[in-house]
Amino acid sequence: MAAPGALLDESFLRKLEVLSLATRRPVHGQLKGVHRSRRVGAGMVFTDFRPYASGDDIRNIDWGIYLRMDRLILKLFEEEADLPIYLFVDTSRSMDFGAPSKLDYARRIAAGLAYVALLNHDRVNLIAFADGVVQALPTRRGKNQAPQVFRFLEALRASGETSLHATLRRFFGSPRTRGLAVLISDFLDPQGIEPAFAVLRRFRHEVVVVHTLAPEEREPQLPEEVVLVDAEDGTTAELEITPSLLEAYRARFQQHVREIEAYCRKYGWAYLQASTAIAFEDLMLKMLRAEGWLR
Amino acid sequence: MSLLGLSAQAAAGAMLGVAALVLLLYLLKPASRRLVVPSMVIWRLVLRTRKPTPDRLRWWLSLLLALLIALSLTLALVRPQLAVYGGRAQRVVLVVDDSATLAAIASDGKTRFQHALERARELVQADAAGGFMIADTRRQIASPHFQSREAALSTLAQLKVAPGGKPQFPNVLRSGERDVRAVLITDGVAAIDAPAGVETRSVYQVADNVGITAFEVRALPRDLHRFQAYVEVLNASPGAKQVELQLTGAGAVPIKRVLQLAGGARAAEVLDVSGYAAGPIRASVDSAYDALPLDDVAFSYLPPSKPIRVVLVSAGNAALERSLRLLPRVQLGVIAPAKYAPRSGVDVWVFDRFAPRAAPSSAALLFRPPPTDWLPRAGGELRETNVAAWSSVHPVTDSVSLRDVLAERALYIREVLHAQVLASDPARRPLILASASGPRWVEVAFSLEDSNLQLQAGFPAFLSNTLNWMTGEPLALNAGLGLTELPVVHAKVLDLQGQPVRVRELPEATLVESLQPNFYTAIAPDRRVRVAVNLLDPAVTEINRTALAAAPPAQPSAGAAFLPPSSWLALLMLAAVLLLLEWWTFNRRLTI
Repeated sequence: MAAPGALLDESFLRKLEVLSLATRRPVHGQLKGVHRSRRVGAGMVFTDFRPYASGDDIRNIDWGIYLRMDRLILKLFEEEADLPIYLFVDTSRSMDFGAPSKLDYARRIAAGLAYVALLNHDRVNLIAFADGVVQALPTRRGKNQAPQVFRFLEALRASGETSLHATLRRFFGSPRTRGLAVLISDFLDPQGIEPAFAVLRRFRHEVVVVHTLAPEEREPQLPEEVVLVDAEDGTTAELEITPSLLEAYRARFQQHVREIEAYCRKYGWAYLQASTAIAFEDLMLKMLRAEGWLR
Repeated sequence: MSLLGLSAQAAAGAMLGVAALVLLLYLLKPASRRLVVPSMVIWRLVLRTRKPTPDRLRWWLSLLLALLIALSLTLALVRPQLAVYGGRAQRVVLVVDDSATLAAIASDGKTRFQHALERARELVQADAAGGFMIADTRRQIASPHFQSREAALSTLAQLKVAPGGKPQFPNVLRSGERDVRAVLITDGVAAIDAPAGVETRSVYQVADNVGITAFEVRALPRDLHRFQAYVEVLNASPGAKQVELQLTGAGAVPIKRVLQLAGGARAAEVLDVSGYAAGPIRASVDSAYDALPLDDVAFSYLPPSKPIRVVLVSAGNAALERSLRLLPRVQLGVIAPAKYAPRSGVDVWVFDRFAPRAAPSSAALLFRPPPTDWLPRAGGELRETNVAAWSSVHPVTDSVSLRDVLAERALYIREVLHAQVLASDPARRPLILASASGPRWVEVAFSLEDSNLQLQAGFPAFLSNTLNWMTGEPLALNAGLGLTELPVVHAKVLDLQGQPVRVRELPEATLVESLQPNFYTAIAPDRRVRVAVNLLDPAVTEINRTALAAAPPAQPSAGAAFLPPSSWLALLMLAAVLLLLEWWTFNRRLTI
């Protein structure tokens, strides 16, 4: 059993062992797995017929048709493949905010999803990013790789600014098997989300967006006169906080969240708000299952 | 209401200080807290759509409002006094008439002096001056100087009516001082000669008054044992008055007279007071609605009626004989030196260029006696000498000036012994001596023929003093109200009721202050002095003889008042309105 470290405790890991990641489209796995793939082969799910050709596995010849039509027809089955999962964890300084911090919450989500994937023999890729790929864990597969995954996540520290677009362009600039891209971030990217998400669309990955939020971001408690300091770039703004200004902020923040969600819905991506105020177990065992990501 | 009542300069200083303090507080405003947020992305999007008021403008607007509020409050508190006309601060000299007529009671029960003080206080409180000088016509305030409003009010509170003497406008105005406003508050009776440009405020009101303007007790020339009192009563009221005149003294019932006096009329009464025993005589008048009590009572002194038996021993000196005969109560006998023989029944011997071999058993006055054993040793003669110094405290020379006394020849007295030098020449050689050891004697070193002593105005007083001193007769002086200088030292002074009076000791006299008629007895170690202190001044009794119109109702000065008395309230209201404005602008983030 992999040592969960401080991220996930034993009992919670046991609860995760009965779950598996669900995909909405056939996967393009190269190895045998538990997910439906577009390839036909030795699977359990019938997909089609075709004429027998020399060299085909004679165990798949439909003998009933041969008796009725005197022709050798071969039954085709979907081959079950593994799922390439790309877990992107935002480690920019903006994630080091809140109690618990958004980064802590994000790596626990990543750890939970990675653990479920490893149990189901999916290929798990972990990428920590800020204004680019900060650190990446090469593909891991199998439950025995869970400790390495956890150690990788535990070692992450917040630093740098956020540039999702640069991260995705750089990461997917190398040939990657199409798979499930899970983005865990607060998406406070000065360049906006659209350029980054466009990269994902171009490579036609299935995308899951986990939007981590701290309650303090949604409802900031600020004195009347304050100098706000950007945690990422250190820029400041001297503000006199008024009720109307706070109201404007809340509205703009809500709009920011809605824009991300709307984008995701538009392109069939999954979207989940992960507020740090929500108990982590509830998020993993209830909300993700309710959304159909875990089953 | 005046809280501080500062001068314009002090108020300007206070306001500058407050403004500086407000500015300092604004400059010392604590810096805003720094808070780290995950990202400014959202905030930048928010701020891009808003148009905040420029911080600098808001800061200035806020500072302006704060300054206006603070200065309004300060102005309301300090009530600066600035001149309206000309825009420069004025100083006010207030001269209060505190002469005797100001003690007259007006129809409202207050004295004219109380009205004068009220006017003065109103001027001080309402006038917008840079300083106030309080002075008076009787010089109660020895050194008038400009002072603050509060100090001026305090000085006014110490003033009182000071009867006696001639009131004068004090010498407090300097020529060329254009920013000084001088106001004289008077009833106009004393006819004070105020300099040009001095405003006069009248506190005069018509009032009834009947007073004693003369009171004297005299011996009858033909009968020195009988005495008459001369009393003059003046009705200074506009209308007729019935006056009850009463004389009281020791040893007999009071003498009363009822007089009917028309307005402005006088009555002179001569009353026989021989029935009274020696001592003070009190005259009083009583009439309805009398406004000035000071002149309703007067005192005099009835001397003992016993005659003084004087024997002049002279070879012939008609002038001296005549002078002695003119003195009251003197029974004079004249003999030639050859007929001199010691005898009893003589109170005073007067030796003219003669001295008996032995001292007489009675007192003696000697003019250029020849050297003899019982007198100080003398020898030789002084030529062309004069009196250079004399004692003013000795009863013999009291009230007698010897300044111009010249002598062609005088006895050169070489030893003084136990005698006291009363007068001396420029070389400090004695010219007049007196001795109180044994029978009293006074020796004059020159004869009346060889000097001009007899021609001096004080010669009868010299003789009278000498006789009184020798016979032990007490002196009775007359004095006016106010400060009286008694020619005694280390004396205990009693009033008519025998109560001790507060006195001020001078090197050669004793000062007594009398604010109303009284009779004092000064008891010194060597003698007694009696003083009758009276008003006895027709100019004072005539309290309606004024050139001023009746006093108008009191009004605050309009000449230089910058802020009306209620302006502080308006300023407070302005400050309240500004506070509301500040609150409103702060809530709308127009100010910081």
